[in-house]
Amino acid sequence: MDTYILAIESSCDETSLSIIKNGCEEISTVVLSQMDTHANYGGVVPEIASRMHIENITLVLEECLKKANMAMDDITAIAITYGPGLIGSLLIGLMAAKTLAYIYDKPLVPVHHIAGHIYANNLVKTMEFPLMALVVSGGHTELVYMKENYSFEVIGTTLDDAVGEAYDKVARVIGVKYPGGPNVDKLAHIGTDTYNLPLPLDDDSFNFSFSGLKSAVINLYHNEEQRGNVINKENLACSFQNRVVDILTKKTMHALTEYGVKNLIVAGGVSANKGLREKLTFLCEKEDVNLTIPEIKYCTDNAAMIGAAGYFAYKIGRRADLTLNAKATDKLN
Amino acid sequence: MRSLFINTSTKKLIIGIVEDDKVLYEYSDTNSNELSSKIMPIIDEAFTKTNLKPVDIDTIFVTNGPGSFTGIRIGLTIAKVMAWSLKMKVVPVSSLELMVSGNYNSDYILPLMDARRNNVFGALYDRNLNPIINDSFINYEDMINRANDMVKDYTIVSHEFDFEEPKYDIVKVIKKHINDKGINPHELNPNYLKMTEAEENLSKKEGE
Repeated sequence: MDTYILAIESSCDETSLSIIKNGCEEISTVVLSQMDTHANYGGVVPEIASRMHIENITLVLEECLKKANMAMDDITAIAITYGPGLIGSLLIGLMAAKTLAYIYDKPLVPVHHIAGHIYANNLVKTMEFPLMALVVSGGHTELVYMKENYSFEVIGTTLDDAVGEAYDKVARVIGVKYPGGPNVDKLAHIGTDTYNLPLPLDDDSFNFSFSGLKSAVINLYHNEEQRGNVINKENLACSFQNRVVDILTKKTMHALTEYGVKNLIVAGGVSANKGLREKLTFLCEKEDVNLTIPEIKYCTDNAAMIGAAGYFAYKIGRRADLTLNAKATDKLN
Repeated sequence: MRSLFINTSTKKLIIGIVEDDKVLYEYSDTNSNELSSKIMPIIDEAFTKTNLKPVDIDTIFVTNGPGSFTGIRIGLTIAKVMAWSLKMKVVPVSSLELMVSGNYNSDYILPLMDARRNNVFGALYDRNLNPIINDSFINYEDMINRANDMVKDYTIVSHEFDFEEPKYDIVKVIKKHINDKGINPHELNPNYLKMTEAEENLSKKEGE
């Protein structure tokens, strides 16, 4: 029998619902992004995000079911992002999920947001194990080893800023518009690597650190400004991006060798980064590694990925009761 | 006629099931940080104890603020999703009105909620729950002055400030609003009475 998961994601500034069949087939997805609103403030304002989530939650639910031409009775289980994320935002999706699970008597399946990002790949191509997942986003930089479905071993993480966070801060200092990540990526592709920046945390561990590199860019920018030198933003963006991509790919390739893994997936918002995609594609071809990077629409926050992860969580018996609470932070599990 | 009553906007969490003017179930306790964990099991208990199901409810009455922003949203999300799913009538009511619905000794009642920095959410109601001064986000002294201008004698009720403790009568509130038209669940949203700080700062900046 087919399994249909209704998934809800509201951990940051996207209100999204999706119906996923058997963990791999997207029946319908609706994403309502608040990005344009938050752009006015140079970043996500949590209270505004919460306000917009409640205004939109039933509209998105209605459109998702309509698009799928399905009713709640056709749904097998409800998957919900319970964390990590902004508490006020998470709570809207969570309360909606619990209410639906209660009135329709459906199993409630809690999904960790990062598990969702990883399983976005299953919507593109059936994930093969063992695999290594490089998770890169505004809140996360992690290398995750997966021996089998729904088993997560975090082998490396950032010691300070997440990679997306470093992008946003660098963007702000050099005067690039919000959202910083994609715009710095664009500039980097025009520029050349001329600025002398350090390769951050270049050691044998699988951990990352981006605050030093971020500070180096900011200091360089201010020093040049004080000296009255003209800064080439494109070249600075390119130099910064090259260092980020170099260390991400270096540690990822090292992890693949160390764990004897031939499957690599990339997940999270920063996997939309062109520089990272190009370099990983090149290296994986050279090393004969199967690389999967989801389409851009699955890289940013969406409920389709929660539905894909939710299916596998459902299959191994993950359930939550009506006391399920939102969590701002939580270990990937 | 059966009603489900939900209040998560004030310091008191209320879940009630009312049939005509008979209370079949009422939960009433101090609202805590654990609201998001606690509330659905209480709603489940309400239905189990009354031998009813959500589909047996005709109308949901839910407070839509003012009050704690997160608190309001928790109750309203439940009401919104339930009303949309089961095509129920849903009626939003003021949390300040709920605070004055109990039995008091005066003809006029002034409910107050702390809104920080010497501001309050306040209003003035008569004993039939008619607003004399509409729900407002207002400086504390201004609220009192406005009330003094309107009526001679009134009782102030508040959970946070040192006045009489508010008393709730959900049957009275339901009776008052029983003929209200109800609202499209998509449009059932909090009445915050207050912009977010970020919006205030932005509009100040744009005004300069």
